[in-house]
Amino acid sequence: MASTLPLLLASLGGPFDAIHLPPDASESGWRIDDMIQSTTVFVSILFVLMVIWMVWSVVKHGPMHQALFDHGADSKSWRWTALVAALIFVVVDGDLLYHSTTFMHGVFFDFAGAEKKPGAVRVEINAHQWAWNARYAGPDGKFNTPDDIVVLNELVVPQGAPVIFQVTSTDVIHGFNVPSMRMKVDAIPGTVTRMWFQPKDTGVFEIICAQHCGANHYKMRGTVTVLPRAEFDRWARVTSVNAARAYDPKDVEAHWGWDWAEHSRLE
Amino acid sequence: MTAQEAALSRQAIEALQPIHHPPTSFFRRYIWSLDHKVIAKQYLWAGLLFLLVGGTLAMMIRWQWAFPGQPVPILGPTVLRASGGVIGPALYMQIFTMHGLIMIFFAITPILIGAFGNFTIPLLIGARDMAFPWLNALSFWVFALSQLLVIGAFFGDLGAAGAGWTTYPPLATNIGTPGSGQTLMVAAVFVTGVASIMGGINYVTTVIRLRAPGMTYMRMPLTVWGQFLTAILNVLFVPVLGSAALLLLMDRLLGTQFFIAGAAAVKGGGDPILFQHLFWIFGHPEVYILILPAWGIVADLLAFFSRKPANWYKGTVLAMSAVTVLSAVVYGHHMFQTGMNPLLGQGFTTLTLIISIPAEVLFLNWLRTIYKGSVRLTVPMLFALGMVFVFGFGGLTGLYLGAAAPDIYLHDTMFVVGHFHFTMAAASFLASFAAIYFWYPKMFGRLMNTRLGKAHFWISVVGITLVFGGQLLVGYAGQNRRLWNPFEYDLFKPLQPLNRWTSYAGFALFFGQLLFIWNFFASFRGEKAPANPWQLGTLEWSVASPPPMHNYDAIPIVHRGPHELSDPALMAKLGRDWVGQAEEVPPDAPGATQAAARGAT
Repeated sequence: MASTLPLLLASLGGPFDAIHLPPDASESGWRIDDMIQSTTVFVSILFVLMVIWMVWSVVKHGPMHQALFDHGADSKSWRWTALVAALIFVVVDGDLLYHSTTFMHGVFFDFAGAEKKPGAVRVEINAHQWAWNARYAGPDGKFNTPDDIVVLNELVVPQGAPVIFQVTSTDVIHGFNVPSMRMKVDAIPGTVTRMWFQPKDTGVFEIICAQHCGANHYKMRGTVTVLPRAEFDRWARVTSVNAARAYDPKDVEAHWGWDWAEHSRLE
Repeated sequence: MTAQEAALSRQAIEALQPIHHPPTSFFRRYIWSLDHKVIAKQYLWAGLLFLLVGGTLAMMIRWQWAFPGQPVPILGPTVLRASGGVIGPALYMQIFTMHGLIMIFFAITPILIGAFGNFTIPLLIGARDMAFPWLNALSFWVFALSQLLVIGAFFGDLGAAGAGWTTYPPLATNIGTPGSGQTLMVAAVFVTGVASIMGGINYVTTVIRLRAPGMTYMRMPLTVWGQFLTAILNVLFVPVLGSAALLLLMDRLLGTQFFIAGAAAVKGGGDPILFQHLFWIFGHPEVYILILPAWGIVADLLAFFSRKPANWYKGTVLAMSAVTVLSAVVYGHHMFQTGMNPLLGQGFTTLTLIISIPAEVLFLNWLRTIYKGSVRLTVPMLFALGMVFVFGFGGLTGLYLGAAAPDIYLHDTMFVVGHFHFTMAAASFLASFAAIYFWYPKMFGRLMNTRLGKAHFWISVVGITLVFGGQLLVGYAGQNRRLWNPFEYDLFKPLQPLNRWTSYAGFALFFGQLLFIWNFFASFRGEKAPANPWQLGTLEWSVASPPPMHNYDAIPIVHRGPHELSDPALMAKLGRDWVGQAEEVPPDAPGATQAAARGAT
């Protein structure tokens, strides 16, 4: 039922084949998909009812019909209007409000829970025109040290563990956006924002800049590669050693990163 | 009100508005005219001209999404010669920025508020002009100056403004857009804000002070209510936009750092998010500024052409007022992704969803108004029904975006673009067209061609649904907005065919507007309009088409509401289904009440 509309569109073929949510590769993305689908069902019903009512009113009671002289303002009539409005609000908005609130508190803002899980990966993102700089703390667990793993645009994360991001930007506002994980947060100069997701599937997923950030906004593309845990650990080990080898103490431009704990105040 | 009270009240209000002789010089008649009807036409011309510019820019965006990077037909060899006939990434961002700013501030605002606010308010409340005619003229010419700045921006070094219509810093500072085009556009928005505030003060004062005797608030046409509430929002919130624009101009020109942070910040810099707060405190009321007049006009037209009173008039007024109040406390839903405090996000989600209650009351009232009527599918009625249809799309898709969780996925996608085009563009423009077709006879004294009008309606409503519906669909599939070539991303490659089809619908919609342009101009030589072509009772239809400069020889004394249509008692007496708001109905002959009551059953 929930996916009736996309199915209907897909059955039309041609340009409509592509009309579906991107495959969800995260543990909790389905909760957002469910909200979108159930709201689609509700609003489709309301919209169809509205159109039927309009067409029927116009066709049935044309110029030949004697209009009913009714202000719709007597207490029975206006209460009916107010009641229907309240009913739609409670059902449609209530459903959305309930699920949205439980998601925001139970998932989106549950940084404390994510940090506590064993194997959680922490990544600092520094966006700039027009690329994503990412930094992992390395074996010492501290950011901005010689053993940090530093990558450009191509992130690697493990399957089945929370990946927590602290995000900022050096120049203008960017949007750190991974649609396949159903997560997005602005990268804002002067501020550190946060988001996290837990990959469910392995594969390569796109990072797509969401905020207009200048002429080349359209190609501020990155990827998140999700590897099985063992492969990820191997990658992390090798990359960290290589990073330490390539570390240049004089290249101050390349030294960025901040104290993780300072920005992980836990709500 | 007794007859004596009415006479005294009329005397007082007549003294406030003495009749002036119409000016004779060309300058005072057409350029610096104090007549609200002439100023309305000035706004209409200015708005329609920029609507054409904004529409042309939209076609360039649609071309880019259909055929990224390929030479643009017609415009390529002419206006785009400097860039080799194609739209490059830097030009593209200027095109969508200018499209948004022009449509919102320099096309919808002047048509819906400047033209129809000016034209309707004094006429519909029984006044001879605005409360401050001189300020009114000044408001238009300040607005014209802002349009001049927009034209100037197109010729800026490094091109026009490119930071998006939302003009977020630091991109909107010299870090991201150092050209003079961006500076000129920020200045243009500031100047047009000054014009809006002048207009707002004038509208509010006029409605409060110059209503004819007997024209109580609850007897005002809903058109006037819409304009009144919009004017209140303008007066309250445009100054906030003005302050944001001024601070941004200082960052650009004087080296201040209110909105700069990051690598370019000196001594700590400022806060880019501060701008977003200022912008959206204005920006969210702004979407209601653009839709309240449309709601008012449509609510009136649905009643007029169903030949019925508007359903639960007071409920509609309350709902519109509730939206006006709520519009000021929901703006945070534009900023869910900025790392907003969870409690704040929760509050903004809840408040945003609460807006659906008054919105549903409005819809239900519209639907009940047309039920069991005697529906006349005139051109304005078609456009009014079309507005309800497209606003259904726009309002319902707003639900997804008002809640913080689904907004994580949908924010900054084409879904948002589709949503606000259905509300601000589709609904506002269909209501503008409804208003043009409806009041054209009163404005210009001629009738428009009905057949062309209907063809224009069908092309517009089908075109709008396809174009903005296509945007909703690709947004649902994740396609982000403002991408020069969305198909650089693997995720969006399969969406190219749908984007192309949507563009074809866009081109049809654009060229379909030629029917309107032809109809609008050809009708200047059309059939002469009678005083009351639609057979309605609101005050403007009781004077000649077009009305004399002073509108009313004697200020009318109002006896009833605006939609007293098909009242059986009055039909028996008058032999028609409408009655003037100020019409004196002879007292009942003995036995007439019973006869009328029998006629009603």
